[in-house]
Amino acid sequence: MQLNRTEIMERLRDILLMADDRNTELIESCTEDFKLVTDLGLSSVALLYVVIAIEETFGIRFDNVGIADFETVKDVVDFIEEKL
Amino acid sequence: MKKPKRAKLFSLSYLFYDITKLIAALPGLLAFRPKYIYQNKAARKRIRGGAVLIGNHTGFFDPVYMQFGVWYRRHHFLCAKEFFDSKARFFFKNFMCIPIDRDNFGMDTFREITEHLKQGELVSMFPEGKIEKELNSFKSGMVLMALQSGAPIVPIYIKPRKTVWHRLVMAIGEPVDVVEICGGSRPSFSKIENVAELLHNIEVQLKEMCEKGDK
Repeated sequence: MQLNRTEIMERLRDILLMADDRNTELIESCTEDFKLVTDLGLSSVALLYVVIAIEETFGIRFDNVGIADFETVKDVVDFIEEKL
Repeated sequence: MKKPKRAKLFSLSYLFYDITKLIAALPGLLAFRPKYIYQNKAARKRIRGGAVLIGNHTGFFDPVYMQFGVWYRRHHFLCAKEFFDSKARFFFKNFMCIPIDRDNFGMDTFREITEHLKQGELVSMFPEGKIEKELNSFKSGMVLMALQSGAPIVPIYIKPRKTVWHRLVMAIGEPVDVVEICGGSRPSFSKIENVAELLHNIEVQLKEMCEKGDK
């Protein structure tokens, strides 16, 4: 699957919108600089959920990484881009 | 409803676990004299296939007590990875425990847990995440594990023993089908948190039943 950063970001936003129905406005305005825990308010379980959804959406695997290895949205996009 | 997949009956990797359990069964029964209280008729049924067992965590012996609760099955316990770095590594590894990094939970661990559940095995855990006398709120990771594997969650309350002479009293709840409650395997965060809260409420009910039943 060949996707550019904008498309990856778009799909990531869709995943977050599907998962978090309480922060729709915040997610729609989120950029790559947003911090996952402090800005988006994702708990460790929410992060795990997002990772599972990313694996299924993009068909990639998060091997040998922990959820705390991702600090910002950019870290996640970088990881997906590298794996695609 | 789909018939649950049964776990393997024999395997070399079960050897240490089975022998230890066999040796400890009689002394354990004599020492603890377990008393079981069931939430309802459905809770009395034996657990077949994969399931997530959750319980309150008030002491180091809780995993042992939990094994007496569902004595007819082998359990995989989630335990902090620090235990695997200690000298007791041999014991934890051969007792089929799954090491978890509480600060940086990895997808490899998550996959290992869901794989056990899909294979029809039991995974037991303490969702409060720490040892405390009072019942605390539950972390919702167990709900994700159950959703991903399709396994039900069985809540168990273990009444803390005041002294070693007190008998072990535990209340066993009805298996909770999380996928059915959530209406699919991809619910929102809020729904997952609601299920964790629901399970906590069941645990409170079981605690009350345990206290009434022990009088």
